[in-house]
Amino acid sequence: MCRHACAPGRRALVLSWLCSGLLAAEAKSQEGPAAGLPLEEQVQVCGACHGENGNAVEAGVPSLAGQPALAFTNQLIYFRERLRRSEIMTPQAQGLSDEEIQALAKHYATRPLSPPDGKPDEALVERGRELAHEHRCASCHRSDFSGQEQMPRLAHQREDYLAQAMRDYRERTRGGPDTTMVEILRNVDDEEIDALAHFLAHFERG
Amino acid sequence: MSPIPLQRFVLSVASAGLLGAVSLAALGDEQEPAWAQGRAAELGNSPLSPHAAPLTVTPEEDIPLDHLRMPDGFSAEIWAHGMPGARMMTLGDEGTLFVGTRSIGRVYAVRDNGNEREHVIVAEGLTQPNGVAFKDGSLYVAAINRVFRYDDIESHLANGGDIPEPEELTDAFGLPDDEHHGWKFLAFGPDDRLYIPVGAPCNGCEVDEDTHATIHSFEPDGSDMRIEARGVRNSVGFDFHPDTGELWFTDNNQDWIGEHGPGDELNRLGESGEHFGFPVCHSVGIVDPDLGDTDACEDKTLPAAVTDPHSAPLGMRFYTGDMFPEEYRNAIFIARRGSWNRTLSVGYDVLVAKLSEDGMRADLSPFMVGLLDPRENAFSGRPVDVLPMPDGALLVSDEQNGAIYRISYDTPDYVE
Repeated sequence: MCRHACAPGRRALVLSWLCSGLLAAEAKSQEGPAAGLPLEEQVQVCGACHGENGNAVEAGVPSLAGQPALAFTNQLIYFRERLRRSEIMTPQAQGLSDEEIQALAKHYATRPLSPPDGKPDEALVERGRELAHEHRCASCHRSDFSGQEQMPRLAHQREDYLAQAMRDYRERTRGGPDTTMVEILRNVDDEEIDALAHFLAHFERG
Repeated sequence: MSPIPLQRFVLSVASAGLLGAVSLAALGDEQEPAWAQGRAAELGNSPLSPHAAPLTVTPEEDIPLDHLRMPDGFSAEIWAHGMPGARMMTLGDEGTLFVGTRSIGRVYAVRDNGNEREHVIVAEGLTQPNGVAFKDGSLYVAAINRVFRYDDIESHLANGGDIPEPEELTDAFGLPDDEHHGWKFLAFGPDDRLYIPVGAPCNGCEVDEDTHATIHSFEPDGSDMRIEARGVRNSVGFDFHPDTGELWFTDNNQDWIGEHGPGDELNRLGESGEHFGFPVCHSVGIVDPDLGDTDACEDKTLPAAVTDPHSAPLGMRFYTGDMFPEEYRNAIFIARRGSWNRTLSVGYDVLVAKLSEDGMRADLSPFMVGLLDPRENAFSGRPVDVLPMPDGALLVSDEQNGAIYRISYDTPDYVE
């Protein structure tokens, strides 16, 4: 549960040995481990952290399943171009061609994303629903929060990742050329972010 | 000034005092993205928002060359491609074309070996390095927050070696680094000074007239700043009249005032320091509904020509070549990137502006069309800049497809 796992400013990075081993091996090379591999093998590389079929089980790691292809593509290009710097993902993206990124994007866009296990906190869901309405999240991310174009899917994304991403936008630490979310989250406090993340992770049509 | 905007302004100043570096403008509409500032409450669910430029290579076979239509005698070819986000262009002394971008953060260099063009990336990881200009062997690059000079860049490119680290001139120029309308355009004037616009950090707001909504000029080292023009909301293109040396520039007018207004502008600077109206007076003399008094337009310089609202006229250059027919001599080509803030799309083309005899006004007329499909209200390309080449052909950059077209002219068969 996010309210325990990702306190403001602390990154939830408790990765499995498989995922962290991959990252350590990678740090020595110029190119990311997936560059130049066939798609099936690239999916294995991504899956070490992002889960089978893009349903992430690692704390703080986003699910890729069901993401609009352009949202996935743009973020990987931001990493590759060092426009969005992440100790983990910037090295991973090096050497991936536009075509490789677009093929991965297409692959993950069509994978189904499963809702989280566990029962939602109904009061928190309702608070999040109100906030999502107030901040007009649906006007870009669609009314079912499945995302579109460069706007990512939010529905059923990992709650800890959503909360951290929103904090990173607010604190201007996420990076990347698009400042839209920085503006939107400028005055949203932690309690509101946690409610939004809970609502979106457990999203069901009301 | 009416009471409501005054109150808003006082509140903004007070808040800015508390929050330090946050710009005045950004505080007006909390929790809205920059592009939504000024959107009426009843349009909160409007589908209109800026079209994001692709960051990936458009395969050559998908570049919409066969959509392009021009007057008889003109034809277009793909001159260079594979450069996502290609925008502003400048030509080096040895014939290298340098191309700036916005969101992908790169500057490209295109070299022509006669049969084909090859490009390399000369800078990357920058924040919207839109502005490029060339002078005395050096390439100048302006990103939102930094200014660089790459000395002897063409000889480094010709030698095939690494490009040395540039001189950073950021502190010398001392430009604001607001993201909103903060991408820069660069051009050297006939006075050998470097001209740089600083856009308004907002859709519409009060600005400090000495720092924002201006066109500045500098010595090439960043010294001796002068304010050439005020009240310029967001100019992303200008050039200097080949005979008079006057600065002519495009300007993008305010969003969310209406589908059909105010019109975007082509302006002529008669005297240094003139005020072109923003934020109180727009286009042909439209008083801003919130910020303008009834006489707001009285002491402002109105445009030499206006074009469709929200159509985004950006790069523009005078034509002095001799390949095109006589009627294009000293005319201005203007690239229009195309609209987002209206439901019926306009632009996505290149216009030609023909100046009046007295050189004060201009007529605008379509020159290169076809990238906008009016029946589907959809576009296939976005012209951002134009650049006449030494042989008289015209290059047009297409940001949407990362391509540069070359437009040339042959007299049609039916002309005697």
